[in-house]
Amino acid sequence: MSNVAGKSYAMNVITPVRSHLAWVNKVIFWTALKLPSTLKGLITLSLIHYARWVIIGKHQFPHLAPEQPKEALSYSYMLFFSNFNGSWDQYVDSFTFAIPSGLDMFWKWNIRYPKSVALTPFHKYIQYNQIETLHYYNGYPLATSNDVKSAKTVKDALIAFDQTAHEGTDATFLKRYHTLLRGLQHDLGDMYPTPIVSMSAYQVERRTRWHASQLQANPLKRGQQ
Amino acid sequence: MGNISGKAYALTILSPIKNGIVTGEEIAYADKVRDLLQSWNLLPNSPMTQVPQTYLCRYFVLDDVYTESLPGASVLDTFADLLPVVPDAVRRRILPKEDHLKSRYLVFSSNFHGGPAGDVDGYLRGMWNAISGQIKQVWGYCYGFDQVNDAASFVGYMKKCQLPATLFFVGANDEPLPEQLKALYLKQEFARFAVENQGLEAAVLRANYHAFITRVAPTNLSGPTWEPGQYRL
Repeated sequence: MSNVAGKSYAMNVITPVRSHLAWVNKVIFWTALKLPSTLKGLITLSLIHYARWVIIGKHQFPHLAPEQPKEALSYSYMLFFSNFNGSWDQYVDSFTFAIPSGLDMFWKWNIRYPKSVALTPFHKYIQYNQIETLHYYNGYPLATSNDVKSAKTVKDALIAFDQTAHEGTDATFLKRYHTLLRGLQHDLGDMYPTPIVSMSAYQVERRTRWHASQLQANPLKRGQQ
Repeated sequence: MGNISGKAYALTILSPIKNGIVTGEEIAYADKVRDLLQSWNLLPNSPMTQVPQTYLCRYFVLDDVYTESLPGASVLDTFADLLPVVPDAVRRRILPKEDHLKSRYLVFSSNFHGGPAGDVDGYLRGMWNAISGQIKQVWGYCYGFDQVNDAASFVGYMKKCQLPATLFFVGANDEPLPEQLKALYLKQEFARFAVENQGLEAAVLRANYHAFITRVAPTNLSGPTWEPGQYRL
């Protein structure tokens, strides 16, 4: 199990939707897609890298070979995948506090959805229907979503600044450099690894440390290798 | 199309795993797939580091569809659960129906840079070229994968397993991965430079700055930069 990769957490939730109402859900998502202002609430949740909703009709589970039995389901299913920074509680709570109505709109037609307020039934709804990830890969485990966004700002500003860095006196350079730093003060900052980057990194580093300590304790083994 | 947001692409794959047991190993095919994916967690880094343009991706096995819930907010639920006079038959009718899958599914969900047109073919070809060995191992227990023998047939197979995203939200960045990794490297290095060079004479600062820029080469994506999946500085 590996729900964590660096500063990201992978959440998978699968919930049943009444098949005859799945199209209503799709229309709501389609509207959200066409009117990005409806997603304003989501944008304020700057801890999200990427999130998606997938509605699988009850007859739409992939069927690849004649020997594969065909599914016979009562409901359609909605899959929700999210990649976010921070803890499970922080994420679920921030959803409830920041976009309760948006959340209700997306899950409204799901079986026994308890609504996002009050908090405890909503926590339980997600806990009950969450599936653990087996392998989670993050291309930039040291960075949060905000780091990724601010890194682009820093890179663009630095490249623009550098184009005139050879011009003018040293005093002019210093003034412009200070302006650059003032402009980037919200975007700069060290990115340190989290204590456990992922279970894999943790295991690998633990093994490495163990081997090193073994070699230190038994120098003879080093010669034998 | 719901799979594309800006230049980012949401790939959702559900590959049905064969029903039955691996001959000689007494383990279900789905559990074998689970084992293989778990074993990736013990490698120094994920095989997905080699697949170009992957921002974040995950694998899991969907054993069954299930739902567990408390009574919902609807009027019928409330009546049925609170009033002891409601007969059991009525109470049961209101409960969700029991659904079960007939196959277990390998779920692969990837967020990657696909460009404005969403080049999913190019991404999957890149994936095959980078880790075809691991792909054959994991997907080898899935229905229909026996027809896959090269990048083109892998792309065709994956598209049969693909499900469209109803809504894809990008909260981070949809630039190509090498651009993002270079930007993160620069952010880290420049933050340190700014701290280490505080209060210097203008001429000294300028000289240090030029040395810094020569070292970090902001427009050179090939290096120095962060490696995909790098988890230590």
